[in-house]
Amino acid sequence: MSTSLYPLASFTQIEKTPSREDGLPDYLEEDLRAYGCKLIHEAGILLKQNQVAVATAQILFQRFWFVTSMKQFGIGDIGMGALYLASKLEECPIRIRDLINVYDLLLQRKAHIRAQCMASNPTSPSSAPSIHTISEFKYTPMSYFGNTFYDLKDAIVVAEMQILKRLGFNLTVVLPYNTLVNYLRVLGLTNREDVCSTAWGYLNDALQTPVYALYSVPTIVCSAIFLTTRRMGIALPAAPENCWWELFDAEWEDLWSVCGWIMRLYRERPLEDRMRVMGLVAKKGIRQWLEEYHPASGEAL
Amino acid sequence: MSDVAGPSTPSRKRSRWDIDEQNDLVEQLPQPPKRRSKTKSAKTSPTPEQAQPSTRLLAEAQRTAILHKRPPHSIFVPPRTLHPPLMPSRSVYSYERLNSIEEGSYGVVFRARDKETGDIVALKKLKLDEEKNGFPITALREINSLMVCKHENVVGIREVVVGDTLTQVFIVMDFIEHDLKTLLTTMPAPFLQSEIKTLMLQLLSAVAHCHERWILHRDLKTSNLLMNNRGTIKVADFGLARRYGDPVGVGGLTQLVVTLWYRAPELLLGNTKYSTAVDMWSVGCIFAELMLKEPLFQAKSEMELLFMVFKLLGPPTLHSWPEYQTLPLAKSITLPPPQPPQLQQKFQYITAAGIDLMSRLLTYDPEMRISAVDALKHPYFSESPLPKHPDLFSSFPSAAAGEKRRKPYESPPAPVRAADYKVLTDFDP
Repeated sequence: MSTSLYPLASFTQIEKTPSREDGLPDYLEEDLRAYGCKLIHEAGILLKQNQVAVATAQILFQRFWFVTSMKQFGIGDIGMGALYLASKLEECPIRIRDLINVYDLLLQRKAHIRAQCMASNPTSPSSAPSIHTISEFKYTPMSYFGNTFYDLKDAIVVAEMQILKRLGFNLTVVLPYNTLVNYLRVLGLTNREDVCSTAWGYLNDALQTPVYALYSVPTIVCSAIFLTTRRMGIALPAAPENCWWELFDAEWEDLWSVCGWIMRLYRERPLEDRMRVMGLVAKKGIRQWLEEYHPASGEAL
Repeated sequence: MSDVAGPSTPSRKRSRWDIDEQNDLVEQLPQPPKRRSKTKSAKTSPTPEQAQPSTRLLAEAQRTAILHKRPPHSIFVPPRTLHPPLMPSRSVYSYERLNSIEEGSYGVVFRARDKETGDIVALKKLKLDEEKNGFPITALREINSLMVCKHENVVGIREVVVGDTLTQVFIVMDFIEHDLKTLLTTMPAPFLQSEIKTLMLQLLSAVAHCHERWILHRDLKTSNLLMNNRGTIKVADFGLARRYGDPVGVGGLTQLVVTLWYRAPELLLGNTKYSTAVDMWSVGCIFAELMLKEPLFQAKSEMELLFMVFKLLGPPTLHSWPEYQTLPLAKSITLPPPQPPQLQQKFQYITAAGIDLMSRLLTYDPEMRISAVDALKHPYFSESPLPKHPDLFSSFPSAAAGEKRRKPYESPPAPVRAADYKVLTDFDP
């Protein structure tokens, strides 16, 4: 077994991310990170891409925002670049045109949903529209040699290069899955299929949070097992002197913090919050938002 | 590119991680966003441990102090502080260009000096100009393989730096004075058996290391083996390297790899599910080349190479290579009449153990070919003469650094004839 030292964000990078430095509030950055990762995930499914490539893309995406502000690059473009790059890294490259079409479809659909919600409830967007008001979504494909295609293609190539450059070409990514299998085996939980798949699910959901750029894999895996066993009511030694996670070199504070990151994904969100991120996929949206809510930082543009 | 200015002084930032672990432990405690406590307690049931965070923190510090006696971490879980921070690429202008070393199809290699430390390095410029599909996957594989395969006998990658535009990318590597090919052609006497053993051990441990990390080199040859003046060789040029998996060759790998003379027979016969054994064949060819001081199979075409191999090792039989007939190109080849291998005749001056190692490296059947780990344990390396200590190797002038071999001795010049002297001076103004 080899121990590779993958990069993690430094304390200063965690303390103040470039986006927050640019005036973007932390809750919005968190939502946008999660939304960008969801787009990567959905695109990965539509492209029938391997989960290893999708997970790698999400981790690179999360790392990127510790060295770059969302005012400079959109989460859509960087998400595409990350998925394109990760597919090469995992030896399952995808066609750039397929990637563009899939993202175009996803973004058109989101825009449609958002427009529907806004139209049906312009005064109080927090209440969900009834199903009848939503008109059917029709995808309009882009023209084969159109400008949209070439613009998006350039955006992907630039995004890929920026990810490489800003992460210093260190693309070492360690995925958590085999560690999870080993730990579950040590804990004697592999015969419980529900435990395995729930913990596996927590690991995948955690990809929508920055934890893979903050904590080492054993800590994250312990958190996934911790949440699973809590939920299923499985008792593991947790007395202060011999806590099971110490066996895997996880610190309680770190483990608890990762659990917090993951659980925050599942809280009920008002429609307004959910619609807001959809309008901020491109950096243009972010800049407009900043001007609207922080006129002072807007002037610095 | 003004945005680069922000993170361009990461060394200071990084130093936050360098302070001793005890301090760090407190520092790196997660800072949950303020609103989190609300949602957290709402979603997950509170735990006894959560109560009174300040006293818990204190207890934690005491506990870590007590536990310091036992190793705090398993070797497989390095402490958080050992992980590198996220660091953007530096600019190529951090280096001063000295001279160009060589130019290949992949790009140019320069010798350069780090302006900060004064270290001499090799800068390999990647060719990215006509890329239609973004950053080339081959360059990604090369950078990744070098980063994953860090080893005493693999050329060290220091960083990847960028130029002014997005098409200028340079891999910064340790500068190594020689490559084994130039050395073999220019050195006055061939390597001694004891020296060959040292070089082979180094090569095998590098290859074993790469294979353990799931990397195939796919272009091992003497010109890709660099050697410093301290008797150490370094495997270089991972331009064709790639990750392999278990089971091997899912989706198929290209068989157009490895420089012809070092290419394994299964590649020549069109197998696309090859694995680590292709590197081991190349190691066998290098082993022979070190003995002969010239490449073993200097063929001009793939067909010629196959027949040279058949001549040296005897044509493959059902016993020596059961899968031979199933290979894509096997049907198009008429095997020469059976004939015993001629390794012993070709290498008259090496011991039986040496011949045994070579025949295990140059084994037809990839399944039967010796692995790097097993080759390291071969009796050849433990019999007399024993491997020579690297420090006892002689040094050579470096062609890459622009050095020239000094003449063995400087004899006084022959007396210049008066007439010639006059001719020469006549041209002086």
